Amino acid sequence: MSEIKTQEFKKASREAMANPKLQARLQQVMGHFDNARRDAIEEITPERWEELRTQARQIKRHTIENLDYYIELVHERVTANGGVVHFARDAHEANAIVADIVQRNGVKLAAKSKSMVSEEMGLNRVLADMGVEAVETDLGEYIIQLAEETPFHIIAPAMHKSRQEVSELFSTRLGTPNTDRIEELAAQARTALREKFLRADMGITGANFVVAETGTLVIVTNEGNGRMCTSAPKIHVSLTGMEKIVPSLEDLAIFLRLLPRAATGQHITSYVSFVSGPRRPGDEDGPEEFHLILVDNGRLKMLQDPELREALYCIRCGACLNICPIYRNVGGHAYGWVYPGPIGAVVTPNLVGLPKAKDLPFASSLCGACRDVCPIKINIPHMLLHLRHKLSESESEDERKAAFEDVFFAKAFAFLMSSPWILSAAHKLGRIVQWPFEHDGKIQRIPVPPFSVWTKSKDLTALPPKSFHDIWEQQLSKEQQ
Amino acid sequence: MTEPHPTPGISKNEFVQRLQSALGKSQRTPVQPYQKLQESLDELVKRARELQEHLQHIRSKLLDALSDLAPKRGWKFFRTRNTEEAIDYIVALCKQKDVESVVRSDEEVLQSLPVDQPLLLAGARVTVIAKSSGFSQQDWRKTAANAGLGITGADFAIAETATVVAIPRKGLSRLVSLVPPIHLAIVRPQDVVERLEDVFLLRRLAYKNGGDVPNYMNFITGPSRTGDIEQTIIVGVHGPKEVHMLLLG
Repeated sequence: MSEIKTQEFKKASREAMANPKLQARLQQVMGHFDNARRDAIEEITPERWEELRTQARQIKRHTIENLDYYIELVHERVTANGGVVHFARDAHEANAIVADIVQRNGVKLAAKSKSMVSEEMGLNRVLADMGVEAVETDLGEYIIQLAEETPFHIIAPAMHKSRQEVSELFSTRLGTPNTDRIEELAAQARTALREKFLRADMGITGANFVVAETGTLVIVTNEGNGRMCTSAPKIHVSLTGMEKIVPSLEDLAIFLRLLPRAATGQHITSYVSFVSGPRRPGDEDGPEEFHLILVDNGRLKMLQDPELREALYCIRCGACLNICPIYRNVGGHAYGWVYPGPIGAVVTPNLVGLPKAKDLPFASSLCGACRDVCPIKINIPHMLLHLRHKLSESESEDERKAAFEDVFFAKAFAFLMSSPWILSAAHKLGRIVQWPFEHDGKIQRIPVPPFSVWTKSKDLTALPPKSFHDIWEQQLSKEQQ
Repeated sequence: MTEPHPTPGISKNEFVQRLQSALGKSQRTPVQPYQKLQESLDELVKRARELQEHLQHIRSKLLDALSDLAPKRGWKFFRTRNTEEAIDYIVALCKQKDVESVVRSDEEVLQSLPVDQPLLLAGARVTVIAKSSGFSQQDWRKTAANAGLGITGADFAIAETATVVAIPRKGLSRLVSLVPPIHLAIVRPQDVVERLEDVFLLRRLAYKNGGDVPNYMNFITGPSRTGDIEQTIIVGVHGPKEVHMLLLG
């Protein structure tokens, strides 16, 4: 698996919020995708958008509820088309499958189109260790590969980089002249990557959808690198999560209307590529071998739990990231792994383990904006609550230990509220304890952790001289006299 | 019991069984079968026939809709019923862009649109990227990479999205519409459909019919684009920078 830094979420988000350059960048960029999405929905009318969402959810629900049947169908159809289907339980197995194909074919250079599953696997590192040059060809992914960073956003991996930063990066790593014109930067990348495409032994892609009926992989792109990777090299390997399946080719019409609009506000992307297998004898060109690797890597956990199953409906549009108040303030890197934002907060703990990612289900105010914008109506807040519940009531001691603080406070609160006498005594005790810290009705700082977090970014209102209970009793007794 | 598996990964049966157990299902096939997957070949044939009748009926409206939308979706658009005008358009384009080398597919539509000679006279050498032309595949890549223009037909054009659908097969290479900086697609009126579903229905029918069904298809809508640097849209990243749609009717 690629490096996991989810344990550092709290620290990383604090640093992100204190980083003026990052904050300026986030402010500049964050509204952009969301506004584009809104405009696109306005254009086809909100009623039509709702219809599409409902249909899409129905299709995904049926498919996931019968995922075993559809995976079997995919295997049958892709094999009949001349392709090879592989199955990987985890990242380790998936890497081994790719390594095997590489070794058997003497692959030296691989051109990669965007694949988030390959990020889960840490595939580039594995290939590098084997002496294979694996070049990211999606411009955003190419930039972060050169910068040796992880993606900042599902759709726009390098959105946190300014053109000056990109120019310096290209200049250092490619020896190209510095420029502040974005067209020139794109042209520099085009030249550098064109040579790789046409020389690559293997093209590695992801998949946005896999159609069971015809055994067809669907790749949705704008740049043309997806087409290059599936046309020029001799071998095409596609890595995809096992949940990307839709039953029929005609179902794609609905998803192709939802995905581009939700992601970037586009009506349709420049290219949609449909791969069902390798080239056939009469074809002019195309790969001689087509491999589809279906990856589990923890998705089984979400499949098994009926409360988490709908996390598998996700089509990776990024709309939830763009609207989330947490993501908009801390950015993608703070989440510490491949998938940031609201959907990341659900998926990551299932893929890397709840104890490691215990802060992610709490990285939410439960405002529900993500659920409102999701094209598949995925109820993310519900699942975040479910994960919090799992943490505190888990059978696994590791998971329970991780939730200790929250359980402690919940139990303490329950104790306080269990009788009016206890609450009253607590109030009186609190009045005494707060006295050194209170000033003008406010408590600005509690120096004792873990309570100190409550005053880190705001002032608490001090406990008043009389509780409501006291006042009520006194009024009542006055009125009775 | 884990089945022994010669190559890395696990067997299909084991993988699928894990899923079935996780879902708590007692049988593999869905309790409620998916309606579309139940459709027989006859039903698909019937739907396809109804679709073609419908399309014929609204053909002129569709062509107008496509003409209207294509420029808004990044195409340079030209419409004419006149073959000479069409050829003139292509020649003028090559002159304007100083194109010295053109690559094209060997599709039917190009047989009724003889561009090779006029282009040669205008100073642009035309190479047909097809095995039938006798060229070797190694030469193709170099030729395509050096070409200034790629010309193809279109298997379909979708009016809803102003999309050209290309289905690579014998006579149509994947690279012609991808590698050169300019791509020109020639669309015939009878190939214009209304919505995304229409193409998918016809492809489903072709698949169900069996036989030699192509393993690749591309939807092309406008030039190659990216917004990855500062969310600013740039065209011509890995694919063509400029795309032309020539509607023959």
